[in-house]
Amino acid sequence: MPGDLTLIGFGPDGWGLALARAGLMTLYVSVSAFFCGLMLGTLIAWARVAGNWPLRKLAEIYVTIFRGVPDILVIYLFYFGGRQVVTAVGTALGLPGPFDISGFVSGMLAIGLISAASQSEVLRGAYQAVPKGTIEAGRVSGMTRFTLFRRIIAPQAMVTAVPGMGNQWQSVIKESALVSVTGLVETMRQVSVAAGTTQEHFLFYAAGGVIYLIITTLSDQFFRLAEKRSLRGHEQGGV
Amino acid sequence: MSLPSTALSIAGLHKSFGSNEVLRGIDLSARDGDVISLIGASGSGKSTLLRCIPMLEIPDAGTVTVGEDNLSPEGGRLTRGQESVARRMRGHLGFVFQNFNLWPHRTVLQNVVEAPLFVQKRPRAEAEEEATALLEKVGLAEKRDAWPAHLSGGQQQRVAIARALAQRPRAILFDEPTSALDPELVGEVLKVIRALADEGRTMLIVTHEMGFAREVSSQVVFLHQGLIEEAGTPEQLFGNPSSERCRAFLSGHFDRNR
Ligand SMILES: Nc1ncnc2c1ncn2[C@@H]1O[C@H](COP(=O)(O)OP(=O)(O)O)[C@@H](O)[C@H]1O
Ligand SMILES: [Mg+2]
Repeated sequence: MPGDLTLIGFGPDGWGLALARAGLMTLYVSVSAFFCGLMLGTLIAWARVAGNWPLRKLAEIYVTIFRGVPDILVIYLFYFGGRQVVTAVGTALGLPGPFDISGFVSGMLAIGLISAASQSEVLRGAYQAVPKGTIEAGRVSGMTRFTLFRRIIAPQAMVTAVPGMGNQWQSVIKESALVSVTGLVETMRQVSVAAGTTQEHFLFYAAGGVIYLIITTLSDQFFRLAEKRSLRGHEQGGV
Repeated sequence: MSLPSTALSIAGLHKSFGSNEVLRGIDLSARDGDVISLIGASGSGKSTLLRCIPMLEIPDAGTVTVGEDNLSPEGGRLTRGQESVARRMRGHLGFVFQNFNLWPHRTVLQNVVEAPLFVQKRPRAEAEEEATALLEKVGLAEKRDAWPAHLSGGQQQRVAIARALAQRPRAILFDEPTSALDPELVGEVLKVIRALADEGRTMLIVTHEMGFAREVSSQVVFLHQGLIEEAGTPEQLFGNPSSERCRAFLSGHFDRNR
């Protein structure tokens, strides 16, 4: 029978601790990338909804680029390309080498920027799904733009945004496996190292799968809860 | 006895959408306690006129006055300073839409207390007490914790009226308040509006309910292609209209309703 289960345990020969750490790193890089994407995605959505012509165009071009290029290419561009740029700049400034950039930062940024493009689409769609009449009713009651956004637009946009954002989060987690190419020791990297060392490929890749499933299943519960909250008053699909 | 003062007035109002000149110089004013019905064919500019008062549409020219505040926007937009005057004016007006436009994510009571709490910043206890009384007035006290989606159209419109009243408005604007309702629900909404007229509320009502307009209005205004073609008491306008177009519109309308 393949696979000695003590290999994935926490004993002296076990990889358990390393796997747990790698799982946390996956979570860490994913959360950072997701929030990076959320901030930029919000700006892009705002530019597309309320910006003037050049802003709108710029935002559209951004979305076109990052949705049309393979994710792995963006990561290579940021990590290897970034290292080359840093080296060139550092050498030009006469700084002592060697130059390196963090796999965490470049990977997190690459995935964040990719995710920003899709997140902006989710947010824009959510805004457009808010019935215009309810916004007018808010304006006509004398609300400021901020109050209108906080009290009327955002809570209704949540209904469509939350499930969409749940999907974006799931893809960020899966894309974070690509960051392993930078040498960052997250789940994917750690299981391939362990599989190579022990020659127990099946066991370790299966264990990796379980780690991703634990993260995605738990976060799914969270988004379900958030969705339920956002659905208050919409039991019949809204007005 | 002195005359009631002017609640709102409109002077020289113009509004175009692209090359479509929808309002071509409207003058209209309402004193406190007036009930003015706006009638006219579909597309004559009634909704646009009503929406220009709280600046939901920005007029191209003309002046809108509500109480102490007035605005004369130019070029179809508001400056930052005008925007804050517009907000104050909106605070003094209630607006009731054809499609109710309740906030679906808030309960009936929350819809009614929203502006008092988050625009007028009144104390919650006071706002809720007043909202409860208003819901009672429109006959929906027992629905205070219901979601809008669970109400009939007539009930939703009555909540929308309570919501408008909660702002303690100087005047209330109604844009075809019963046109989106099933025929059997029209009566309950008209009854509420009639009660407001009896209380002496100042109202501008766009409507196709001619019998109702004749009964509650102090003045009826007939709009034709962006101009006031005829205005007068209900007796004059319905009994003996001087304009041929108004006469034709009314006879068409009464024929259709028969
Ligand atoms: N937001 C808008 N954009 C372009 N045209 C509009 C808009 N609102 C109204 N119109 C046009 O203005 C004219 C008057 O419309 P409206 O004021 O709704 O008339 P009524 O309420 O009397 O039926 C119509 O020709 C309509 O197509
Ligand atoms: Mg209309």
